[in-house]
Amino acid sequence: MDEKQLRQQEMLLQNGLNPNFDGNDSNFTDSPRNIADNLYKQRNRKFKKLHILYVFFIFSIAILQFISIAFFSRGFLLTRNVLDNISTDNNPNSILNDKPQFDKTVILIVDALRFNFVIPVDVDSMDYNPNYHNNIDVLYDTFKNSQDSSSVLLKFIADPPTTTMQRLKGLTTGTLPTFIDAGSNFDGSVILEDNLIKQLYLNKFWNDIYFVGDDTWDALFKPYLNQQFSRPFDSLNVWDLDTVDNGVISYFHEYLIDQSSKDQMTYKTLIGHMLGVDHVGHKYGPNHFTMKEKQLQINQFLKEIINSIDDNTLLVVMGDHGMDHTGNHGGDSVDELESTLFMYAKKKNSFTLDKDYETSYNISNFGESYKQVNQIDLVPTLSLLLDLQIPFNSLGWPIDEIAQNSQQLEMFQNITVQQLHTFKETSNLLTSDDERNLLLDELFEKNLYHDYQIQLLEVCKDLWARFDYISIAIGITFLFISLVYLIILTQLIPSIVINKLVTEFVPLIICLIFILNLIFFGTFYVFPTSASQHHPLRFLNGHFIWTSLFSTAIGIILGIMIPLLDHYSIKWLICRFFEFFGDYWTRVAGIFVILHSLLFASNSFTIWEDKIVGFFLTSFGCLTLYEFVFVPKRQSTVALLSGLYVENKKKVITNTDELDDVAAELNKKMEDPYPDSLPLSKESRILGSYHSILLIILTRLVSTITICREEQGDFCKPTFTIDNNYSPYIMGLLFIMIFLIPSLVKGYFRLSSSYQGAAPFWINGFLRCFLLMNFIYWFITSLEITVPSWSVNLFKGMDIKTMNFTLSRTLAGFSLVAANIGWLMGPLCIELGLSNNSENVNVKQASVLGYKNIYGSQFFLLVINVFMSIVVFNKPLAQLSIFAMLLQLLTILEIIDLFRLKQNIIGPVALGLLCYQQYFTTGHQATIPSIQWDMGFILSPSITFPLTHIGLFLNTFGPHIIVSLSVALLTFWRQPPSILNPQTLLARIVSSCGGLAIYNTVLCLSSFIFVTHFRRHLMVWKIFCPRYLFASASLLITQFIVVFVTIAFASGRLIRQINELFWRQ
Amino acid sequence: MKKGQTAKKTVSFSDDTTMTTHNRKKRNIDHDHPPVFVRKTTLTIPWHLPLLLLYFIFGSTDYDSFKLLITLIPLQVLYLIFQFNKSTVYGNKIIKIKTSLLLICLFTTLLIVPFVAIVIILMGAPISSNLKATWLLSLHICYLSYPAIYSVFNCDFKVGLWKKYFIVILFGSWISCIVIPLDWDRDWQRWPVPIIIGSYVGAFLGYSIGSYV
Repeated sequence: MDEKQLRQQEMLLQNGLNPNFDGNDSNFTDSPRNIADNLYKQRNRKFKKLHILYVFFIFSIAILQFISIAFFSRGFLLTRNVLDNISTDNNPNSILNDKPQFDKTVILIVDALRFNFVIPVDVDSMDYNPNYHNNIDVLYDTFKNSQDSSSVLLKFIADPPTTTMQRLKGLTTGTLPTFIDAGSNFDGSVILEDNLIKQLYLNKFWNDIYFVGDDTWDALFKPYLNQQFSRPFDSLNVWDLDTVDNGVISYFHEYLIDQSSKDQMTYKTLIGHMLGVDHVGHKYGPNHFTMKEKQLQINQFLKEIINSIDDNTLLVVMGDHGMDHTGNHGGDSVDELESTLFMYAKKKNSFTLDKDYETSYNISNFGESYKQVNQIDLVPTLSLLLDLQIPFNSLGWPIDEIAQNSQQLEMFQNITVQQLHTFKETSNLLTSDDERNLLLDELFEKNLYHDYQIQLLEVCKDLWARFDYISIAIGITFLFISLVYLIILTQLIPSIVINKLVTEFVPLIICLIFILNLIFFGTFYVFPTSASQHHPLRFLNGHFIWTSLFSTAIGIILGIMIPLLDHYSIKWLICRFFEFFGDYWTRVAGIFVILHSLLFASNSFTIWEDKIVGFFLTSFGCLTLYEFVFVPKRQSTVALLSGLYVENKKKVITNTDELDDVAAELNKKMEDPYPDSLPLSKESRILGSYHSILLIILTRLVSTITICREEQGDFCKPTFTIDNNYSPYIMGLLFIMIFLIPSLVKGYFRLSSSYQGAAPFWINGFLRCFLLMNFIYWFITSLEITVPSWSVNLFKGMDIKTMNFTLSRTLAGFSLVAANIGWLMGPLCIELGLSNNSENVNVKQASVLGYKNIYGSQFFLLVINVFMSIVVFNKPLAQLSIFAMLLQLLTILEIIDLFRLKQNIIGPVALGLLCYQQYFTTGHQATIPSIQWDMGFILSPSITFPLTHIGLFLNTFGPHIIVSLSVALLTFWRQPPSILNPQTLLARIVSSCGGLAIYNTVLCLSSFIFVTHFRRHLMVWKIFCPRYLFASASLLITQFIVVFVTIAFASGRLIRQINELFWRQ
Repeated sequence: MKKGQTAKKTVSFSDDTTMTTHNRKKRNIDHDHPPVFVRKTTLTIPWHLPLLLLYFIFGSTDYDSFKLLITLIPLQVLYLIFQFNKSTVYGNKIIKIKTSLLLICLFTTLLIVPFVAIVIILMGAPISSNLKATWLLSLHICYLSYPAIYSVFNCDFKVGLWKKYFIVILFGSWISCIVIPLDWDRDWQRWPVPIIIGSYVGAFLGYSIGSYV
């Protein structure tokens, strides 16, 4: 039904309640219509202006929060001063010898080669798993059987964070990475620091370096690798298990194994980096038959290499990190840290093994007490073996096994300690009177070289955790101010006043930002010397971006503060704040928010946040259930306090004209199961209890889906596993959902008689087809994953992978683009219903069906669009969780509506709780390894700019997106038109959005404060820091979606459209 | 000796209470129909609950919640007969104890147990494992509210006065789960020990100050 038709019908309705459809417009005289038209246009202009002002206003607060997060991160995320010095003459060995011990080096890195993958494991052991144990035996066999000390196998301990990029940096520079580096895994840039590869390149003997494998190497070491012969492969596509490995194997065959006359080889160093094991881990986890295939392949490959190298070649095989029980890595659990180092040479007595063979190389109990070396020790070890200079920044210690006798060992250690000492002296890490410096010097003089190295390493670990407290303080202050503003402007001050205030805020904010930018640039950027040495803001000197961010933030703060204090006194605001908490539900909301934010005060609570948030949501359900069952007396007082109900009712009677009034009456009779009166009627109490119970049960059911944090240990059994995700049961449930979900949503639309107009198309058509296709896509994916070589058996000659990509792209394209364009057309969920008049049989009665929920039903179609686009990027169990989320959302909306709590902050807080619960039940945790990287490859097989990032974004922040969009539904749901004018409606939406923003800001602020407080805590990098990053991301994403999608795009459009239909009179 | 003292106290307090009772009665007539109320006396304080808790925490081996339950039930019955019911005033008279109703309530309390267990599971208790512990916990909660259940029956379900007793017990159990996630590795953090302790504390507070609220 198009708008014109509708408007006609609307006019008919105005014409009298029983419109005769043969009648025409002639009843209207022209002049009153013109007046009404002008009035409408004027009103429309006013609304548009206000809308833009509101968007700008909320956006400026979001910017303030962004700046505060930027400042806090600048101070908290550690950075290290990189010294660009390059070692030239710290290795007298290399100067003395004109020819090194070996004349070729082959280095093979097998990504995520956990130590217990390569040692024999007792088959009877409890934790024995044939998928990943005892498959790679060649390394240990070689080590065991080489009586002539031609090989050494060691446990290789990585430093956290165990991401490949960080490990490569650690492996080649020999130094410790800081946290800030971890973020740049996606765009590696050339290492400028002195490193092993650079030393190889600078050395006249080793400088021809051939490389094959992970293209991170190409990014890091491009200038040093032989560009003509090196063959990098795309590394981050974790769904591709074989390309890189097969590439490496064929390359090695070409240049090493099949080389008939070995003299022809020009290279001196051959480096290979295989990714298969890591990718199998990411995709399937270690406990999967693919892991076995992969490991057997690698075992075979290693055998070939060992057999084919010549007598003067050194072979180094190592892993860069391990993997945890889910197959992911990035954290610092033992399984992630333990990797393998294997060195082999055909030449006899290349290595000296420990005398006490049985205790040092004890493989019992998964090699628990096997001799271990630090990963950074590789740098001095290889440098000494190959007669290279030890890279300048290296902090490692040569491993004992490489020296052939004690004399050589002593020499090696002397060389290394010289290098360490030079590094310490040059870098000025410590002031000369520092206690630790004195200790180091003492150790150096006493020739306790190894102790010296250990001590220096500790000092560095400590120093590179130095925070910038001024930036941290600025960040916390700004965020606190933004929180105060949000509370005052969206909750304390009545929305009608805000309508007037924004006209003052916005121009002032813009002016002040310009003026302050000029002033601060003058002080800190153009004339940086004018700021004194001890000025607290001296760090802004000469920094373009930080100066501008700082002045913008101050501009926003002042721009809001000046008009605010002009109208209100601080005392009044404080009184109003306490008055605000006089209401029961506001108190409940306050308690939830405060309890949630206090979780970050303890590592245990932060670890168990997933369960606790679910507990809060269930508690909310119980409170509402209690309210519906017993209807305590506060019920009516709450409504009176908020004053809305009375206000609404008055408006219905006085302000709107007769027609609307009668139409509303009619609708009420026809479609509203519970009339607008408090206390609640019996029907609405039963309905409300049903919604509450449904909310509680769904919350409990969903909370069984979890990917456990490592710290939760034995108390948590992960259910979000590969086996469960692709099990037939889950697939069956997904299939049932194709039918169940549309029907359930339909039921909720029917409750408000809104299943009219566009709703059947959307829910029964789009949604159902989409779910069916989505099911097919995930069914194929599950077969691919669970059944080995399935596509070959069933679809010979047909590329099932391409078909699946087509399917996923169609799904994503439909839900992200087409469906939203469809929504822009303005799908109304109303219809004109005709019924027989009970009194007069000849006269038909007309009523607008779905009138009562005209805003909510249409807005919910947009939520369905977003919901569809998020479902595609989630694994089957997470999809079930998101289906439940849709129902939970609807129950919360109904509950809030039944209690007439639309303006109360409990609504946004309940939605916020829902969002956090769903974040955890869609298989996420507030840790970096729990990011589901494989979801980035749903749309494209390799990393392509928007496709991969969209997938990861929608997967990780799906619940946040749904909630920050549907927070407007708190106002829109069951909001009939013609009661509130557009400005008021917009102001109320901003107020609800503000509630959600307050919730997220409180969490972010609390995480800031506690992560700063616990900065020296043992668990800071493992628990508190990831949680603070997650809180920051949540806040920013919620704010930007609220500003641009919810307020700017959807609400504005919807209000204008309905306004045009029902206010144009 | 002690008994005599308390009796004296009651007398001295009773003057006071009749004053307040008078006001309260009026209000009760206004809102809740049968004028039932609990007198404000120290008689309602359930001394056996903290004693049981002390025994549970320090005396019993390995926090034996079954033994605790066995001791709790007779003590609760005695508490109802000699303390709680004696403080409950219906109209102007103290309601006499009905032995048959006493027994019926003991049985109906058992019937409530599954529902409480379901609520506990919905609030996050493990679904399949530890069912016995959850069951014991809900038995505890039900028998802690036994005097209130009896009073509900006694007033023919018409009086909303007893709601607060249930709420306080449930609130005690709700809040006490706060210690479960902490990584202190203590025995008493084991399910459902903290919740039992919380519900006892809640019941103690509820029965003691319930008449004042």
